[in-house]
Amino acid sequence: MLAPLGRILILASLFAAAAGAFIGFYAGRTRSAEGLKWARRFAYGYAAAIVAATLVMVYALLVHDFSVSYVAHVGSTQVPTWVTVVSLWSSLEGSILFWGLVLGAYITIATFFTRGKYEEYQPDAIGVWLACAAFFSFLIAGPANPFHTVLSPPLDGPGPNPLLQNHVLMAIHPPFLYLGYVGMTIPFGFACAALIKGRLGHNVLKPIRESLMLPWIFQSVAIMLGGWWAYEVLGWGGYWAWDPVENASLLPWLTATAALHSIMVVERRGILKGWTITLIQATFLLVILGTFMTRSGVFNSVHSFTQSAIGPTILGFLAAALLFTIGLLAFRIDKLEVEGRMEGAASREAMFLVNNLIFVLLTFTVLIGTVFPLIVEAVKGKQMSVGRPYFDSMTVPLGALLLFILGVGPALPWGRANAAQIKKALLPPLIGAIVFVAAGYAFGARTPWTLLTLAFGGYAAQVTLGQMFIPMLQRMKNGDSFGTAFVDGQLRRGRRRFGSYIVHASVVIVVIAIAISSSMRQQMELHFAKGQTLQAGGYDLTFVGVEERTEPHRLSTIGIFTIAKNGKQVARLEPRMNQYQMMREPIGSPDVHSTALRDVYISLSNIDAANETASITVFISPFIVWIWLAVIALALGALFALIPPRRPAVILSPSAATSKDPVPNDAAAETA
Amino acid sequence: MNRTVLFVGLLIAAVLVAILFLGLGKDPSEIRSPLIGKPAPSFALREVGTGRTVDVTQFKGKPMVINFWATWCAPCWEEHPVLVANARMLQPDVQFLGVVFQDKEDKILGFLNERGTSYPTVVDEAGKTAIAYGVGGVPETFFLDANGVIRAKYAGPMSPDILRENLQKAMKQ
Amino acid sequence: MTIVLLLLLQLNVPDAAQFVGPPKGTPITGEALFARTNEVGQLLRCPVCQGMSIADSPAEMAVNMKAQVRELLARGYTEEQILKYFELSYGEFVLLRPKSRVLWMLPLLALILGAAVVFIKLRKLEKNEPPTANRQPPTDDPYLSRVRDLVSGGKQ
Repeated sequence: MLAPLGRILILASLFAAAAGAFIGFYAGRTRSAEGLKWARRFAYGYAAAIVAATLVMVYALLVHDFSVSYVAHVGSTQVPTWVTVVSLWSSLEGSILFWGLVLGAYITIATFFTRGKYEEYQPDAIGVWLACAAFFSFLIAGPANPFHTVLSPPLDGPGPNPLLQNHVLMAIHPPFLYLGYVGMTIPFGFACAALIKGRLGHNVLKPIRESLMLPWIFQSVAIMLGGWWAYEVLGWGGYWAWDPVENASLLPWLTATAALHSIMVVERRGILKGWTITLIQATFLLVILGTFMTRSGVFNSVHSFTQSAIGPTILGFLAAALLFTIGLLAFRIDKLEVEGRMEGAASREAMFLVNNLIFVLLTFTVLIGTVFPLIVEAVKGKQMSVGRPYFDSMTVPLGALLLFILGVGPALPWGRANAAQIKKALLPPLIGAIVFVAAGYAFGARTPWTLLTLAFGGYAAQVTLGQMFIPMLQRMKNGDSFGTAFVDGQLRRGRRRFGSYIVHASVVIVVIAIAISSSMRQQMELHFAKGQTLQAGGYDLTFVGVEERTEPHRLSTIGIFTIAKNGKQVARLEPRMNQYQMMREPIGSPDVHSTALRDVYISLSNIDAANETASITVFISPFIVWIWLAVIALALGALFALIPPRRPAVILSPSAATSKDPVPNDAAAETA
Repeated sequence: MNRTVLFVGLLIAAVLVAILFLGLGKDPSEIRSPLIGKPAPSFALREVGTGRTVDVTQFKGKPMVINFWATWCAPCWEEHPVLVANARMLQPDVQFLGVVFQDKEDKILGFLNERGTSYPTVVDEAGKTAIAYGVGGVPETFFLDANGVIRAKYAGPMSPDILRENLQKAMKQ
Repeated sequence: MTIVLLLLLQLNVPDAAQFVGPPKGTPITGEALFARTNEVGQLLRCPVCQGMSIADSPAEMAVNMKAQVRELLARGYTEEQILKYFELSYGEFVLLRPKSRVLWMLPLLALILGAAVVFIKLRKLEKNEPPTANRQPPTDDPYLSRVRDLVSGGKQ
């Protein structure tokens, strides 16, 4: 019963999306208000159908209805309920259905919030959104169908991959990833609409910016969560391996970040429209590329879903999307670049250009490194690898350059500045640079790249804090108290800017934390007999003993360690080796003691329950937690910037000049 | 119309889609051996059960089939009868040799006693021989010609057809 | 220990010497050996894992390879020789640092090309005629710039 119901709902979603896309584009050509209304209705209809279908699947999972093929594939009566819920996205078909769910939610929100506005762009935007939705519904209806009926349903299923049951982040990381990825469809739709119309009006910049920012926040957190998960679970002490699928998630984030910056220049100066639109298009295309890379089986990755027939279909969609986008850009991009000029190379606008360049370079480098083995194999038939040594060598300098711009860019004023102004802007933050380098050196940092990162970071920190507090000091000079200056000036009126300062400050913290935690990491291999205590990095590690724990799906051999510092016990760690029924080799699971200053990370390499011995690898890395925390701060800062501003009483149209009432429409009240 | 955008865009798109398309259908985890056409690394390892040393160079003059396997690998169980039967059939013209690594000797002995064997099986301590042969997983089978040069490598369980096909490559020389 | 020695006398495991000749460097021991094993291990790919280095991977195959690296370093083999040894038996696939010069040059070329494009764009934008309404000094104040936008008849 559930399987056919699901199928019908999916087919309904496919119909609604396809019809709605058609109507949307038609309404765009004929400028029919009625057509737009219907396109919007079909958009809501699509969303309703796909949400319903997902609910059917979740229900089927929870009641363990093994007549539904996907449930038979990943369901199990032996696993906890939360694992049953997350198995919705644990395997290929379910993950595409989840994609549809998130897309449906985004289309609903975007359609709702654009009601009565941007009528010039709406029809085409909806057309694009629904065309993408139709593709994914087609996938779910056809090649990736989770709703096949199983003719003789089994009594129980195998459950999702045991590696995915290890950690609660399985419940958080994928949803954030999808919310980040799928969400890029919305700004893509707006960008296409702008190109189709041949206009990028000032009014449509706001929805583009906001629909770009929200998924960007999710992406940032998702990437951080992925790193954190790898760190907590995989046991090699690192959080980023330059694995092809990891790279795939990074690429759209890079172009989206560039687009978010570039759009500011469009807002202020009316220039760089073409570049901004191209970056937005690239973001969406990279999302599709990413989903291809994860699901096609072409790339060797820890994250790949199993190979399936879905690869060629997604490649087809990617090719079509590329052709469509390139065609649009080629024929329309020149219509966008209208007026506006740049005043000089030493201006903030110019820095945005350089910023764009660096992000594009980073994107290019990561992309080329990831696909190069494929190119070589196609051309020469030879197999080669591109691993961390390459990526690190390329991205570390570029990252340092970005940090440099993060300081110098906001320091420079907009427009032409004379030498004196430039000096006044650029010289004082050098103090911050020196302070950070000195502090880092005192802490023990010695590597040249780390010290350089500290210098740039200190510079940027001073610039950011200066920009945050100097206007406040100004207000305080005029009589306001600190509280008023802060709450009114920053939190009420300057949300977008205050949010951006938080984001920049967080980036500085993340980059410095990454630099220090990598270059100052200590790694040791220790062998213990029961009860033995050994020294590691200022801590005393004692191997207390072995414990074996049997769970329904795995047998865990746990090594119990206590950590003491200066005689006082600080933590008890339980790294373990998990033997899953389905896998031949046991999978190790580390344990970490995190403090603000450093992490003590223990990974079991060998444990003998009979002889009560254990061999471990210990990693002691400073400042790791700051990487996770700073990204969360970044997300909060960006979210804060998204809160709509209060509508101030600004009188703008000449006819309203005599009245004291604010003009309550978009054109008047759009400020930050 | 902006020709630069069109040209550059289409170029990037074409290259990208072409590479990805060619990548489909290939298995990225399958590694091809660089040792084909090169002399097989020589080794002398201890035979399981008897304890005597078996030196691979002592078989020079006949084609060889060297099969890397382990008792914990399911496909190895499948292919074992094929190897045993063929070894028996082709003796003394072709020499078969089994190399086990990452395994326990008592398990190997148990396996062989239960399922029979017709050729020597040696133990590769610490997997060094496997490393020298570029073995990534089990089972992997190498086909050497009479001069000790590797002519073919097959990763995966042996079937009579695959065995014949690869052996032909080794016997041609 | 004696048994091991006895066994070693009879046995002959394939050795790096077969592939790359005698060691060209000096033997290392102790802390330095541990550190170098990790460094060289980071450059070799575990053939049965998805892209991890043998230094990071817990797989038995990787552990064996890492032990081999340690032994070779202890005997005085150089990093170059060790990498060559593994390359000869596994193929270029096993090297995580790619040998291709093209690949290493590409980002640099992209940087130069990109910088040129930015430079040209900067010039082009500097030459633009400012719209008549915009002969005011640029400002940071979002309200003011917004007001100017609209008062100037709108740029769009």
